[in-house]
Amino acid sequence: MPIALADLEALVGKPFPGGTYTIEPYRHWLMTDAFGAVPTSEGTAHPMETYYGALAGMGLSVDELFALVGATAADGPMFGETTIDIRQPLRIGATYDVSGSIESVERKEGRRAGVFDIVGFRLELREPGGELAAVSTNSFIFPRRD
Amino acid sequence: MDIELGVEIPAFVVDVADERMKTVAALLNDSNPIHWDVESVRRLGMGDRPVNQGPNNLAYVANALIAWAGGDPGAVRRLQVRFLGNVFGGERVTARGVVTGVRREGGVALADLDVWLERAEDDRVLDGTATVVVG
Repeated sequence: MPIALADLEALVGKPFPGGTYTIEPYRHWLMTDAFGAVPTSEGTAHPMETYYGALAGMGLSVDELFALVGATAADGPMFGETTIDIRQPLRIGATYDVSGSIESVERKEGRRAGVFDIVGFRLELREPGGELAAVSTNSFIFPRRD
Repeated sequence: MDIELGVEIPAFVVDVADERMKTVAALLNDSNPIHWDVESVRRLGMGDRPVNQGPNNLAYVANALIAWAGGDPGAVRRLQVRFLGNVFGGERVTARGVVTGVRREGGVALADLDVWLERAEDDRVLDGTATVVVG
């Protein structure tokens, strides 16, 4: 049986443990090289650091996030939507505070897909002084098979 | 930068390489074997090539926008996309965008765009919108 919808809905608004994320110069070089950008290890960070930093600093692994909503990677979760909203460009070498929570839960049923849940979560990256630098909003789709 | 509505940004073409997926998996602690283990992909009935990480596909669109903005990664202010399908190792994909609006906000000029990543003209794997600083 899939996780009860009421249990899932009870997660909305509860904060993740949170943490910090440092944009390590060597790691930034390797990542930008891996996805075909100009590899750099100083200066302004690639916009994808908002996404990666948010996930890395939220205080849960992706597997733990899946477990929180009653799923595993073996269930075949899929990306739904992603928004990267950058208020101040991130800097290579800088450290950011990361916080966030599950923002929305929606259970649907499709003729072919069966029952599935769409879980949305929002993560913020802040400067050490508290100023908001960037926001990563994401949704995962979790198939719910009996 | 003078920008006309409807202008297409230069295409960003990527030949998706298996080795790069392995680098990303290692850097991101991504334990999903579909990104490097072909046997796992076969067992799931997803074919016989590794599956590219979804965020990589988004990164290609960001790369196209950065190049269009003159190479400044800080020019990309917003990206919102839906993931529509998987990209596999060995495939060629192209990131594209078209300007839908130009405005001033907070003393800077911003361009709004429709963006997407495609295998072919009628085969999009990701689409959405973006906002880029243009002056």
